[in-house]
Amino acid sequence: MLRFLFAVLWLGCNLVHGWNQNNGQVTVSGTIRDADTGETLIGTTIYALELGLGTTSNEYGFYALNLPLDTDSVTLEFSYVGYQTVRRRIVPQTDLNLNIELGTGINLQEVVVKSNSSEEQLRTTDMSVENISAHQVKVIPALLGESDIIKTLQLKPGIPSGSEGSTGIYVRGGGTDQNLIVLDEAIVYNANHLFGFFSTFNTDAVKDLKLYKGGFPAQYGGRLSSVIDIRMKEGNNKKFSGTGGIGLISSRLTIEGPISGPHTSFILSGRRTYADLITQRINQANKNRENFTPIPDYYFYDLNAKVNHTFNNKNRLYLSGYFGRDVFQFNGEFFDFSFDWGNTTGTLRWNHVFSPRLFTNTTFTASNYQYNIRNKVTGFSFNIGSKIQDISLKTDFYHTPNNDHILRYGGVAIIHRFEVGRLKAGSDDGEISFSSGQQFTATELGAYIMDEWTVNSSLTLQAGLRLSGFINDSTTYTGIEPRLSAKYSLTDHLSLKASYARMRQYLHLVSSSGIALPTDVWYPSTRNVKPQISDQIAAGWHMKLSNNWWIKNEYYYKWLYNQVDFIDGAQLFANDRIEEEFAFGNGYAYGMELSVEKKEGKLTGWIGYTLAFVRKGNFRGIKRDIMDGRYFAPRYDRRHDLSIVSIYQLSHRLTLTATAVYGSGDLAWLPTGRLVFQDVYGEQFEPIVPYFEDRNNFRLPYFFRLDLGVVIKFSPKWGKSNLTINVFNATDRRNAFFIYLEPIFRKTTSPDGQLIQVPERIAAKQVSLFPILPAITWNFKF
Amino acid sequence: MSTPQNRIRPMYVKLALPPSNEFIALTLTLLLTSCNLEKEVEIQLPSHNSVPVVECYLEPGKPFTLLLTRTSSYFTPFPQDELEFLSSILEDSAQVIISTNGIEYELENTLGINPLTSKVFNYYNPTPVPHDAEYEFALSIRLKNGQTIYSQTRLLPPVPIDSIVVQFNADSLARVLTYFTDPDTAGNYYRRMLHLSSIDSLPLQDFVSTDQFLDNNIGIFGTTYQFEVGDTLINTLFHIEKAYADFLQSIEEATHANGNPFSQPSTIISNLQGDARAIGIFTGLSYDRVITIISP
Repeated sequence: MLRFLFAVLWLGCNLVHGWNQNNGQVTVSGTIRDADTGETLIGTTIYALELGLGTTSNEYGFYALNLPLDTDSVTLEFSYVGYQTVRRRIVPQTDLNLNIELGTGINLQEVVVKSNSSEEQLRTTDMSVENISAHQVKVIPALLGESDIIKTLQLKPGIPSGSEGSTGIYVRGGGTDQNLIVLDEAIVYNANHLFGFFSTFNTDAVKDLKLYKGGFPAQYGGRLSSVIDIRMKEGNNKKFSGTGGIGLISSRLTIEGPISGPHTSFILSGRRTYADLITQRINQANKNRENFTPIPDYYFYDLNAKVNHTFNNKNRLYLSGYFGRDVFQFNGEFFDFSFDWGNTTGTLRWNHVFSPRLFTNTTFTASNYQYNIRNKVTGFSFNIGSKIQDISLKTDFYHTPNNDHILRYGGVAIIHRFEVGRLKAGSDDGEISFSSGQQFTATELGAYIMDEWTVNSSLTLQAGLRLSGFINDSTTYTGIEPRLSAKYSLTDHLSLKASYARMRQYLHLVSSSGIALPTDVWYPSTRNVKPQISDQIAAGWHMKLSNNWWIKNEYYYKWLYNQVDFIDGAQLFANDRIEEEFAFGNGYAYGMELSVEKKEGKLTGWIGYTLAFVRKGNFRGIKRDIMDGRYFAPRYDRRHDLSIVSIYQLSHRLTLTATAVYGSGDLAWLPTGRLVFQDVYGEQFEPIVPYFEDRNNFRLPYFFRLDLGVVIKFSPKWGKSNLTINVFNATDRRNAFFIYLEPIFRKTTSPDGQLIQVPERIAAKQVSLFPILPAITWNFKF
Repeated sequence: MSTPQNRIRPMYVKLALPPSNEFIALTLTLLLTSCNLEKEVEIQLPSHNSVPVVECYLEPGKPFTLLLTRTSSYFTPFPQDELEFLSSILEDSAQVIISTNGIEYELENTLGINPLTSKVFNYYNPTPVPHDAEYEFALSIRLKNGQTIYSQTRLLPPVPIDSIVVQFNADSLARVLTYFTDPDTAGNYYRRMLHLSSIDSLPLQDFVSTDQFLDNNIGIFGTTYQFEVGDTLINTLFHIEKAYADFLQSIEEATHANGNPFSQPSTIISNLQGDARAIGIFTGLSYDRVITIISP
């Protein structure tokens, strides 16, 4: 593994040496930025008009374009959707550093859509990729007015949500644990607040989000189903500014600006909910009331911070961090319960330009996710928790030897530390005590090389190879992950695309339910727990109908191996032999995704439709198998999923928004029968014990929700503000969160004269989460 | 004296879910119910294939008793009368044989009730269950339709309760600490029950645990300070098979999962074989019991 890493670096050095020779070409390179804020722009198109050559800026805003030496003057066009196009005329005689700033323009300022994804996706081999812009996230109606980047993603095809209101996503048949979520290149292990109803990402601090569902570039690895790459803003280096908002359940504030000149800037962003401030008052006011049950306190908060410094055209340093916590407290006369969980990430990143054709990014990250539950009950205390900590070092080379090839290569090493199921319990006097828990330290390695080869004006290939490895104690796994994507342009407006990707996943989520919970813990691959593997093929076409309309249609098939599930009766809590509760099996998923999107104009939005199938089975466990090895559909096997998102700018001040979501019902595992259980003694008679047969045997009713919103803009002297009013679930439809079966009892008198209850019938009860919920949020910018 | 409703589960408990999950589920259910977000609906469950259910506990020195019933479809109406209800689930006319040490004991199909435990049985043989822990017991059932059920079990040696320690706090409430010594063999499972006054009542504590957390073979169960002078506590420590522990846990999980979206349901994990695909348990009951009257 290490030898491969060195080989990649050696290859890189040779490529630098060999391909950096002029070969009759000069290189124009530089960084593209927003003229107002200084933020780098990802995916800007750079096109040499007279030569028909072009490229795009990478995720750090850097570009490099090779031009023939001593050509007559060339016009370079820099374009980005929503920004005014800039042209520069140059004479290519020597390598040239050309940094460009793009402005939105006065007239465009209010309708700017900061995303270049469709244009980029038509030209490149990228497929199965979804982008969303911060603007879209902010105006689309949201639960309780809390705009949420992950929930907006769920409106895209192929990214269905879990249960209603949840930020969990299930991409192309994968589970929630099979999504790699990285914030400024640091892994975020639990991207949820409030048991999954809100994500951890503060929209004000996010600059760019890209989600890969397939066709994964070789620089990504470690999860099977998707990569969600989130980049934080770098901070305005032009002027001091701020954004914020006051909503029903939380408020947020972001400030950013230059530090001692334009070369250094910072951004600081915070968000906190305040329901606990109200519940504390209520509890205080009622504390002397008899039979008053205190309301539990709950709040969450996020802090994002970033500072960056540009030393010169060749060196730039970034330091960023995230800290978020959920805190749940409940105190009573006899108990004191607290439950907190959250992520911490930190990133130190160095961009260096070795030469106009070779750009590198080296990143050191640290990440931590942990939960702690503490409870004290009259003389006893419990302390339960789990933790995963990472530190990683990663380096990526972005190399443009000529216009036909863009090479990327690099490596990553991650050290994971796990504390699984840490439990300490005992009496306060120490008379009774016991503990459990497991600790692991494991190393995950990856090295990759990838070439994007423009074969001709129609055909582009992207071929990559990733070698990954995992070392846990005496167990070592290594594997090769080939990646291949191709794009063929039939016309300027129609591209055909296909891809294949193998992914390996070395970490597994131990979850006791179908819903993502903070108590779910990550578990490493071991001798018994083998890495999960997937192979995915996808094919599709992307078409530009006119300047404003785009169609994207993709088909996929995915094979899943070494999938981890839990046997019936699994004991996942306080179990030092937890591997005995696992079962390992395979699966497959296939489907079709279609999206029609309008990117510009007064009316923007998209329609996304997904048809999907997923099955898993052949699960064999150490203790027992699951369903005798037969295949079954996971809970999230949603056949149809349709989202319609529309944003209509009625006037300069008024924007109307609407989203409609329809989905086939998810699956539930309901009992088909019941039995009587006497047990050994006395009154432990259970007349109705549910008898569960095949897993996920019942489909819940279909899901539908319509959300409406209006954004009213104001222009006070000190800046800008808007009022966002939205109605979540405007039709007040009660969608099924879950269904349970409840015995209805009748009162009667027993032969010995006692009043008793006996079961009369069984009723099916449907529980919904959200009725119609209006919300109002005031947002400001100065 | 505290009632079963305000008892707590001590830390040596084996829970189907972390306490947080149960707490979340309870809070969520209360919130949703109060917001009128729950309604009764009509649904069609998948078809149910009824299977036999066996409960047979071998207690040395006590007669052989066995309850053989069948599962019902979940929505099957409940008969109004208790006897009618029983007859609707009882599986009669089966041939039931328990054999050990080369001797076969046939259990007669007769409905009865154990006056001590208030438990019903429909197969019975008055011969006392032999005490010999060395012999394996085999169960063989042939149903009236010809299908068969088989199982085997062994009586484990009881693990004695070493001592009961009663401690008082400043409010004159007592807690009870129960000590035992875990045998050297690994993989022991225990069921601990604590009854107040009578075993024919809901236990104050009832949980299954393993020996995997014991560092020095000394096991201890505790209660909170909840007892008053004069309370009679019946402390029972069952030494159980792993199959019985799995069965009990699966019953608990199946019961908890219905109505709790945060919980994973479970099929019933049995130690029965045969083409009848029966569920249930055939196991021995080996236990030590100490009765303590709380005194100053």
